[in-house]
Amino acid sequence: MADLVDSMLDLMRRLPPTRVEENVAALVGICPDYADDLLGSVDQPLQLRTDRATGKDYLACDYNRDGESYRSPWSNEYDPPLDDGTTPTPKLRKLEITANEAFDTYREMYYEGGVSSVYLWDLDDGGFAGVVLFKKGEFTRDVRLRSVFVIDRSSAGEPLSRDTITLTSLCSCVVMNPSSADEPSGSWDSIHVFEASERGRQAHYKLTSTVMLQLVTRHNADTEKKEELLSVGSSEKKVVNEGWKKDGEVNLCGSMTRQTEQDCPLHDSSSHISNTGKMIEEMEIKMRNLLQEVYFGKTRDIVYDLRSVDDLDKARRQKELQKELVGFIKR
Amino acid sequence: MDSTERIQAASSFLLQSPPGEINDVLNDVRTIISDDDLLQEGVLPALREYNIAQFITVDVPGTQHQSIVSEAARITVEDEEEERFLDPRSKTSFRFDHLSLEASDPQSVEPDEDTESLRAALESSALSYLSSHYHDGVATVFATPGSSRFTVQIVANKYNPSNFWSGRWRSEYVVNLDDHTIEGKVFVNVHYYEQGNVQLATSHNLSLSLPAAVVTSSPGSSASKIFALIDSEESKYQTSLNDAYHEMGEKTFKGLRRALPMTRQKLDWDKVLGYRLGAELAASKGVFGNA
Repeated sequence: MADLVDSMLDLMRRLPPTRVEENVAALVGICPDYADDLLGSVDQPLQLRTDRATGKDYLACDYNRDGESYRSPWSNEYDPPLDDGTTPTPKLRKLEITANEAFDTYREMYYEGGVSSVYLWDLDDGGFAGVVLFKKGEFTRDVRLRSVFVIDRSSAGEPLSRDTITLTSLCSCVVMNPSSADEPSGSWDSIHVFEASERGRQAHYKLTSTVMLQLVTRHNADTEKKEELLSVGSSEKKVVNEGWKKDGEVNLCGSMTRQTEQDCPLHDSSSHISNTGKMIEEMEIKMRNLLQEVYFGKTRDIVYDLRSVDDLDKARRQKELQKELVGFIKR
Repeated sequence: MDSTERIQAASSFLLQSPPGEINDVLNDVRTIISDDDLLQEGVLPALREYNIAQFITVDVPGTQHQSIVSEAARITVEDEEEERFLDPRSKTSFRFDHLSLEASDPQSVEPDEDTESLRAALESSALSYLSSHYHDGVATVFATPGSSRFTVQIVANKYNPSNFWSGRWRSEYVVNLDDHTIEGKVFVNVHYYEQGNVQLATSHNLSLSLPAAVVTSSPGSSASKIFALIDSEESKYQTSLNDAYHEMGEKTFKGLRRALPMTRQKLDWDKVLGYRLGAELAASKGVFGNA
């Protein structure tokens, strides 16, 4: 039933992106038979997980999920462990390892923090597909601090269990990020899904990229009603300072998706990484500009299409006056 | 999911509808639930709740203007009578169909004598404020009989489905002349959905105390003073939104992802791979000797 899936996708394009997880869960509940269609087509915020074997963070999404378990790109292990979890063929796994290393460098260069993960899988027609993920947001501060703490502790020669280290570092986050209510916060999730097919010394790539971006600002201010004595010249004047209280939130949240296709030369298997790397880099640069335009330009313009700070009546009168003047001169 | 849960889910979807898209959401929900009989009965409370919360506007029968359907407009009905809403401007009450969004059965309503002069003055100030600052806005001023509380509601909608966007601005001010206060709420919602789904949702609460002079003036003069305050607050708020945009754009957005690396150049992918392979080879000698 294509209609049903189309309606579900149309619905997800309309409902608030801040509630995508809750809404997808509700749709899956209503139409369990279409869960796979839905989970495969609706991008949800990436989940941060920690690889138990390496201690490195990785990103969980529908592409590294098998049942209830997620595969880490670092150790290739499923968590919770699976005996028969799907893994790439050894050849593809080798490429996956190199891709993870390369995109981790890319992540550091552009995101200066955050977490990246690359997952590859074989396709039935002989080609392969993959997903390149980046996430950066508030949570990444924890990640950074954690590593700082690990170094600190070890240099102090205090052997601590992993759990203790994590706990201490989380506490330190609270201290280092005092709850400054006015400080805006945000998160960025990139999901690049590609398909690669080899044609002799050429490869054809199809890339679908989604970036989810959320930005939140809260404000809170108030004054007490008080009477103040102002000295104006030699006389004193009593001024009543009226009390007021204001608070609120600005939430800009959403996702944008773009697609592209490209043929690239193929020297050896690692060419796949530089080819997709260049495509993804181009795409992210394009999408960052697009997001900037839509988030800070378009939505703001729409607010001004609703309400004007300037007096519209005054502008109208001025226009009328101008018309009259033009008519007068013509006469 | 049983039918109660399905209706609950459908109702939750409807209540999340972006400005001007409730019919699109309803169409999607119809296909998804595929049980019109169940839906028709079940989602009416959600449609009603949505209309009231979103300050849905209605053409008032026999007038040339629109009025706001909201909690403040609801006339308390006795017994099993059907719910009615009030348009204080034309002094008309009407029934409202929450699905077709049409008013019917208009009846004239006698206004409350004690409050009507100030209410009418506030309404006339509201309308001139509306034409000064809103493109296509609707404002309604409600009195609370037996008290000096007035509720001012403003809504402005822009729906542009052919360009994939819509927007709604809602304001509500409760003016209380006994306490000398104004309690205000402003909500702005914007949906942009061309190859994506981006939404702006803002909320703003404010509470101000009214200078004594405002309360003791004549209705006309106190209404215009009250709207001078509202005008100044809303303009300040809209300007502060600009500041929030600037902060989020300059600080948060730039902090999440750089436009280009520190080197101001795109990555040299051959180098990235070469470096990594080299590092890997060096590392693998020690750790994965036999791998």
